Amino acid sequence: MSEKQLASTVQASAHQKEWFSQLRRDVFEKQMPYAIVQADMPFELFQAMGIPTVSNQWWAALISAKRLAPQCFDELNARGFHHGLCHYCSLPLACTLAGSSVEAPWGGLPKPALISARLTCDCIQRVFEIWAHALGTQFIPIENPGATELPPCWWELSRHQWEKLFEARRLDLTVDQFHVLIAALERIAGRRFELDALRQLMESVNRQEEYFDQARQLICSAPKAPVRMTEQITNVMAAQWLRGTEWAVEHAKRFRDEIRNRVEAGIAACPQEKLRLMWVGAGLWHDTDFYTSFEPTYGAVFVWSMYLAFGPDGYIRYGLSDPLRALASRVVSMNEQLHNPPWANEWIVDQAEKHRINGAIVLMPSGTPSAVSGTLFIERALEKAHIPVMTIEADVVDSRHWDGQLMRKKVAKFIEERLC
Amino acid sequence: MATDPIAQLGYLYQNPMSEALQASASGVPLVGITSNTVPWELIASAGMYPVMLRSDDCATSFADEFMEPQIFLPRIRSIFDQILSGRWPLRAVIIPRTSEQEYKLFLYVREVSRQYPEKHLPPVYLYDLPHSRSQDSRAYGLKVTFALKAQLEAIGGISIGADEIAASIVESNAARSAVRSLVALRRGKPRIDGCLALSLIGPFWSIPRKNYTELAWEAAAKLQAQATLNRPRILVKGVSMDQSTLHGVLESCGALVVSEDDWWGEGSAGQDISTAGDPVAACFEKYYSDSPGPRTFPASVADSWFEDRSRDGIDGVVFYLPQEDYVFGWDYPRQKNFLDALGIPNLLIRDDPRQLKTPELSRVQSWLEQLPKVVQS
Ligand code: SF4
Ligand code: SF4
Repeated sequence: MSEKQLASTVQASAHQKEWFSQLRRDVFEKQMPYAIVQADMPFELFQAMGIPTVSNQWWAALISAKRLAPQCFDELNARGFHHGLCHYCSLPLACTLAGSSVEAPWGGLPKPALISARLTCDCIQRVFEIWAHALGTQFIPIENPGATELPPCWWELSRHQWEKLFEARRLDLTVDQFHVLIAALERIAGRRFELDALRQLMESVNRQEEYFDQARQLICSAPKAPVRMTEQITNVMAAQWLRGTEWAVEHAKRFRDEIRNRVEAGIAACPQEKLRLMWVGAGLWHDTDFYTSFEPTYGAVFVWSMYLAFGPDGYIRYGLSDPLRALASRVVSMNEQLHNPPWANEWIVDQAEKHRINGAIVLMPSGTPSAVSGTLFIERALEKAHIPVMTIEADVVDSRHWDGQLMRKKVAKFIEERLC
Repeated sequence: MATDPIAQLGYLYQNPMSEALQASASGVPLVGITSNTVPWELIASAGMYPVMLRSDDCATSFADEFMEPQIFLPRIRSIFDQILSGRWPLRAVIIPRTSEQEYKLFLYVREVSRQYPEKHLPPVYLYDLPHSRSQDSRAYGLKVTFALKAQLEAIGGISIGADEIAASIVESNAARSAVRSLVALRRGKPRIDGCLALSLIGPFWSIPRKNYTELAWEAAAKLQAQATLNRPRILVKGVSMDQSTLHGVLESCGALVVSEDDWWGEGSAGQDISTAGDPVAACFEKYYSDSPGPRTFPASVADSWFEDRSRDGIDGVVFYLPQEDYVFGWDYPRQKNFLDALGIPNLLIRDDPRQLKTPELSRVQSWLEQLPKVVQS
């Protein structure tokens, strides 16, 4: 991403870099333990135990942004793993297997004390087991029970009625699995887990997400979007990976304040905004400039991605008498909420309407077959709500088959034909 | 239908719904299932007819409309179409959490039902059986198995007694034993080829187990007298196949497929269900611990059967990882290394066996030609 319009974006990037170098110092010099986990894991447990975590997806995005993915996947394929395997969560594994033949970002990941994943797609248990072996560390799998009750408007129920919404049997199993994880964290950290500490953290996460909710409201109601989607992502994700920490809560507030100031001062991210676009799917990490390419000619601004919106709708939990159970309810349905019918399609239409979206670009992620699911239901639901959709096929982390110019032309054509 | 048991089973393999439709016509409710991990015994003891939905060659217009291209396996697309088209008079469909694709199948069918109530689709239920080996998963699996029993009682409108389940287990175990007698004909010095074996074993999933037992034993007794077959003995590994096309291709090139690490062939029956203790718990134990599937974890558990079988009279292993695969490809290098270390030749096929081109066929052929021709053991 080239231009940074918000001071908070600069701070978020700097903080993340500093946080990571600190992590490397802690781990290499002080031998402090850390963990690598999937993005849909309960980061709060690690946070409450003082164990730093690196999100697999964040690390994948970083490798991808450095355009190292092609080399990593070549190395993976050279080891007998075929080309059709899903790329999203496996890029960091590929980077580890590539060893010294690829110069990993920031000097590479040191050995983690554990790695952990929820067993969503059938592939993830394999990716993490192979990775644990390669890293010489332990893998803690967290079972992922399926949803059978999926009532309408989950985002209206998830804050207060989460116990009912996410089904008791699923929460029971997830909490049981958390206890296994907690036992491992206690061994690693050499101290006891405290429920009160988790409760406090959960309260802080609520506060953080409330700020993000207010930021989102401002984006919805301002005459023109005060912040670009790419900058939303940088700010939100820097805070989400560290959610509930003092810095994260403060940063969310800073971000909200800056947006509010911009709205009050009538500052738009793109003053010539005429069309509001939404991006449905994971970010195109290897070509983030793509998102601003339609501003000069068409005044078409990307204003929405799941990254900001999912914080308030997906994370806020009120009623924290049992914080472990509330945390279980936060992670247990992320996949259904973001990728599967009926929840994903319903939510995205609701978001499109609230954000006054004129057109949606829906990613059909070619290198990540599993994340494709639900796309046709989403497309159909948006069109039914009179929001034109263009689907584009792309690999979110691997730029090898991405023709940026061609894609820009296709989107331009879509804008001309269906939005102008 | 012919009276010869081999021909009868062959017919039922080709026409898996024929018996179910007859039963339905006489008033027995049909319950569709989609994998080997749905307890047949519980459905049967509720007075209903469990029938495995198998892929067929019909057009998949509903899958084309709702399922993203190149993501779902042909088997899942076909099942989706069979449910949506209303081709079969199903009272309900039970889908296990045995693969991510089946979970999505459940959510997709459910969503089409919700959006298009006028389609009157059969209700779909998720049997949320986990497959990782841990105390928590085991306890959860047991709980959802009891919940499945309650669900079946609601679907069938009856209450299921322990005696009825116990009787179904006995019936089913007899069929498992009959399958094992067929499997024995492929061991050591094999007497039947892979295509025939699949057609004899396949109806285990689609006809009443009592009938299956009789036919399978008769077939096994007849085939016992067959001459042994001296061709390279092949084990097929990879994405599960409910058709015998790949076996057909390999055997037409001179191979003898004697095993598949798959619930459609050698892995169909497994061990008997325990007749001691609570019968629901016994069913759970069987489907949790002794049923192959893509989510079995850890890999050491998932690989153990394959490793034992590979060491037991196998001349070569064919890995089948079609283009849509994004699961088993993660296992392939490890399993290949295992075979290489033992000196067991192996071959990877990625193309659809229905459309193998000449160069690919020649590759298969020349690989087979290097294998020993005469069975040693
Ligand atoms: S966006 Fe989807 S694929 Fe990415 S981490 Fe979240 S749930 Fe997983
Ligand atoms: S998104 Fe892809 S890499 Fe990640 S768990 Fe799913 S199939 Fe595996």
